Amino acid sequence: MTDLHILRDTLVDRATKSDTPRDVLKAPEFKALYAEIPKLDPKERGVYGKQINELKIALEQAIEAREHELDDATVISLDVTAPWDINSKPLQFLPTDQGSLHPLTRELERVIDIFTRMGFDAHESRQIDNDLNMFGALNFPEGHPARDGYDTFRTEEGFIPPAHTSTMQNRVLRAGKATLEAGGQIASISYGRVFRNEDVDATHEHTFYQCEGVFVSDSATLAQMMGTLRAFFEEYYGQKLKIKTQPGYFPFVEPGLEFQIEKPAALGGKPGDWLEMLGCGMIHPNVLSAADIDPTVYRGFAWGGGIERLVMLKYGIEDLRHFEAGKLAFLRKFA
Amino acid sequence: MIISVNWLKQFTPIDTPIDELTELIGARLVEIEDVTDLSKKYKGVVVAKVIECEELKGSDHLNVTKIDDGGVVEDVERDENGFVQVVCGAPNVRAGLSVAWLPPKSTVPESFGDKEPFVLSARKLRGTTSNGMLASAKELDLFEDHTGILEIDKDAKPGTSFAELYELDDYLIDIENKSLTHRPDAFGIIGFAREVAAIQGKQFTTPAWLMDTTPTFIDKVGDVVTPAVTIDTPELSAKYTAIVMSDADTGVQSPLDIQTYLSRVGVRPINAIVDVTNYLMMLTGQPLHAFDYDKLIALNEGKADIHVRSGRTDETLKLLDGRTIELSENDIVIANGDVPVALAGAMGGAATEIDETTKNIIIESATFNLYNLRNTQMRHGIFSEAITRFTKGQPAALCEAVLAAAVRLIAGSTGAVRSSDIAAAVSNVQSNDPITLTVEQLNETLGSKFSTADIVDTLQNVEFMIPESDDASSITAVAPFWRSDIHIPEDIIEEVGRLNGFDTIEPTLPLRDFTAISPDSFDQMRSTIRHTLARAGANEVLTYSFVHGDVLTKSGLSPDNSYKITNSISPDLQYYRQSLTPSLLGLVHSNIKSGFDTFALFELNKVHTKTAELTSDGVPVELDRVGLVVAGKKSNGATYYEARKILDYLASSLGLSLEYKPFTKDASMVLMTPFEYRRSARVIDVKSGIALGVIGEYKKSVAKHFKLSARSAGFELLGEGLALAVKQVTPAYVPATKYPSSERDVCYKVATSVTYAAIVTALHEAKQAHETVAIDIQPVDIYQAPDTDTKNITIRIAIAPMDKTLTNEEVTAIVDRLSKAVVAATQATVI
Repeated sequence: MTDLHILRDTLVDRATKSDTPRDVLKAPEFKALYAEIPKLDPKERGVYGKQINELKIALEQAIEAREHELDDATVISLDVTAPWDINSKPLQFLPTDQGSLHPLTRELERVIDIFTRMGFDAHESRQIDNDLNMFGALNFPEGHPARDGYDTFRTEEGFIPPAHTSTMQNRVLRAGKATLEAGGQIASISYGRVFRNEDVDATHEHTFYQCEGVFVSDSATLAQMMGTLRAFFEEYYGQKLKIKTQPGYFPFVEPGLEFQIEKPAALGGKPGDWLEMLGCGMIHPNVLSAADIDPTVYRGFAWGGGIERLVMLKYGIEDLRHFEAGKLAFLRKFA
Repeated sequence: MIISVNWLKQFTPIDTPIDELTELIGARLVEIEDVTDLSKKYKGVVVAKVIECEELKGSDHLNVTKIDDGGVVEDVERDENGFVQVVCGAPNVRAGLSVAWLPPKSTVPESFGDKEPFVLSARKLRGTTSNGMLASAKELDLFEDHTGILEIDKDAKPGTSFAELYELDDYLIDIENKSLTHRPDAFGIIGFAREVAAIQGKQFTTPAWLMDTTPTFIDKVGDVVTPAVTIDTPELSAKYTAIVMSDADTGVQSPLDIQTYLSRVGVRPINAIVDVTNYLMMLTGQPLHAFDYDKLIALNEGKADIHVRSGRTDETLKLLDGRTIELSENDIVIANGDVPVALAGAMGGAATEIDETTKNIIIESATFNLYNLRNTQMRHGIFSEAITRFTKGQPAALCEAVLAAAVRLIAGSTGAVRSSDIAAAVSNVQSNDPITLTVEQLNETLGSKFSTADIVDTLQNVEFMIPESDDASSITAVAPFWRSDIHIPEDIIEEVGRLNGFDTIEPTLPLRDFTAISPDSFDQMRSTIRHTLARAGANEVLTYSFVHGDVLTKSGLSPDNSYKITNSISPDLQYYRQSLTPSLLGLVHSNIKSGFDTFALFELNKVHTKTAELTSDGVPVELDRVGLVVAGKKSNGATYYEARKILDYLASSLGLSLEYKPFTKDASMVLMTPFEYRRSARVIDVKSGIALGVIGEYKKSVAKHFKLSARSAGFELLGEGLALAVKQVTPAYVPATKYPSSERDVCYKVATSVTYAAIVTALHEAKQAHETVAIDIQPVDIYQAPDTDTKNITIRIAIAPMDKTLTNEEVTAIVDRLSKAVVAATQATVI
């Protein structure tokens, strides 16, 4: 039997110098090793097999390194300052009619535009946050059952990919406190990507988009909340709409409601068809206090809803998974 | 949770049609998922009396019966007495029995709603006609029962509708539990009925027995030592009560009334004792548990010494469902002495299970820490009716009233007697404090116009206590003990708004001033970028924020620099991404395979790295990026230039002008790692000097991993850098000249090592000397003959005089001066 160490060094060396390093795997000396196996005492085969394997791994590494080296040597530097390559022609743009915005960002732009015109400023929500913003400042005590509904991911450090855009609420309230106390209002929306630990299928995604709004003044009312939301949806769908609510339970609002609109004609709605659009409510005094806003002086309302649903209803999109799949067959339908 | 409307009606009158009722419940109490009309299922089922019953000749088990249905069923064959012949195979069929008859043409309830429901007819069995069938509990879709046909246990005239007799002419409302998470009281029929009364504007009165927090138990017979009860850790249980009953007969079944009510809401009837505990749970929301007393004391030298304590990690417990579980310190355990006998609030232990030999029982009525039970529920996967209620936080004040009712009902249906005194341990019983608010405060919060009387009535309908007061402008209310969710004035405001219907409040709009609100400047820039790239024919994508560790390593990035998700759904989503490029590269191969031969994909999104600092509030800094990859099957020279063309267009739409600086060596910065440094450039904003990112082709190893086509290149830009650069943009307008302009093409032959930029820079520097002419420099051609070490770069120089018309000689002089500068800088030959 050949000394495996010597053989390894020989083969590795050969691979390191070869222009076709992968051929070393076909070397007769190497193949012969395998032929030895059946001749061995079955007790010894295990140890021997392991040694051959180690040799093979070492060889593979050497081959890959050499292949990389060979590849690397063939790289030709470019004149990166030139407008086009040597001996080629001025370049054309891709056909402009193929270009598209993602339907989610396009719809978000529209939502943001309407709220901006209504007097709300807009900020993108964070994609990594802490327990305080995600739960603590929103009146979810540690271990509270309501936390279960959010199926949050966690990082090793205990950071949370936020499960709702309300993760921005404490920051928005803190940022607006001065304006509020100077006699103004807080009117702000937060939009962006949120995450839930959910298996993906046609109607579930672990990654999706929400838009959340907050309004605080010294005279905010639930009636104003319903009026504001109705005004938004009437603008969004370009028609008068009936609205109704359902009691809902979210620890950061009191009262809490689910907000529905009568299905708009644009979506093929008939009287009596209702669509659940979002959750909303009067901001819980504990949430205002958590932002150092005196709940005995100021009141506010907040709401939050998904963007995918708006887009799916609008286009009749059948499967949530399209949105993050990056398939041109889907994307170019929005060109 | 399923709510029976007929069961509600036992506690509050409901005359509203079902559609209006469900609409009202939806708007003022809880979301309804489904409503079932149970009467359809039992349509045609008739109570009949067996008059005659004889064995069918030639059969070992069939009987021929004559039944009296009071003559109510039409179109059925009758004998001279008006009786109907039905063949029945049940062992318990006999003359004199009152039964549920399914006449011909009726549907067997068990098959109701099936694709092919079983519709009965008159058919011959061994030559004898059977008109329909006598039904078992299973065929009536009530519960599993193998003893035979259902024996009706009430006096009812033959011909009575079976559904009416057992109140099965009912509607079942399936409600969404989640929105009642904070309402333990609504998890019992009585609590739900209270809400239903109030949302119809009616006063509700809780049955007196349930209001009695110190109830009188039925007389004690016998003298069993009262069990010792101890709550070892006060946080685990606010109250624990237990009592012993003797001479219990587990063979006794509950009255059909109770069985049919339990089964319609999804609880399987078992025996009278277990049924009573379940019935009271459904009614009050307070779960009960019955142990076999003798088995229990056998575990502790004949004594009942009950402890409520934490589980220990070295303990195991065999549960009623046969599983043996390992306990943890978060589980609450009921132990006799030191022996665990039940997983509190979740499931009883197998060792103390009630069976046919049980004579004496011990009934537990208690409340447990909902946070611990939640933990237990998840860890052991127990989702029983009991734990569903316990995890809402049942009030301790209910324990004794429900225990007293259980003792009374079990005694009534099984003949068992109470044989011990009540054993009770109390660690903490909370009472509700008065809450005061003004009518103005309520109306200002809701935007409503409720009067003091409206508010008082509403609250009294759900049994809030409102002390008499002379001050009509404010209201003080004390919530009843079952409302552990009422703490602050806002809770009262919600209650009043909800019970009266938020939809009755007229929507208004807040007032605002005329100050204009502008979109965030960063958002505006992003919008411009998106629209520009789409106009350049690129397609915007959104890809996941999380990637596989391999995607990082194969892109030359270290997973150690990524925040790692500890509970990720799959390895594909384990790490926060550090840059957008790998995600985009992951889309190239599949799209080419799908037949797209030329495309550019771009994304604007955030990335996160551990090396980036934390913000002032201690969370990772988020980095905005713009990433693009252009790819295709066939290429026209290096793809780098395709990406560059798109980037130049993007830059000009933002008012930026870019410089592309070559790399001299490979760099390890996150943005750079996938790029081949010899075919990539640093992107610099000329005016501000800000580094904006990287553009280039990818390393061969990266291309191999992502199966990229040879025609692949892209860029990744720093959103923050772009925003800073864009901020410095000032409008640059130069009026067009009135004088004729001239163009000259000049070809410079230079060494291949001379860059295009070297020529252009020389030209730009030289043109500074010509203040009165606008000089524009554009590339025309870049040519290299085979096997040479020089290249020819042809430049079009456009000269536009601002103040006069130039002669041909003057133009030539300018061009010559410019060319001289090029020659000086690059040793070019003008050809």
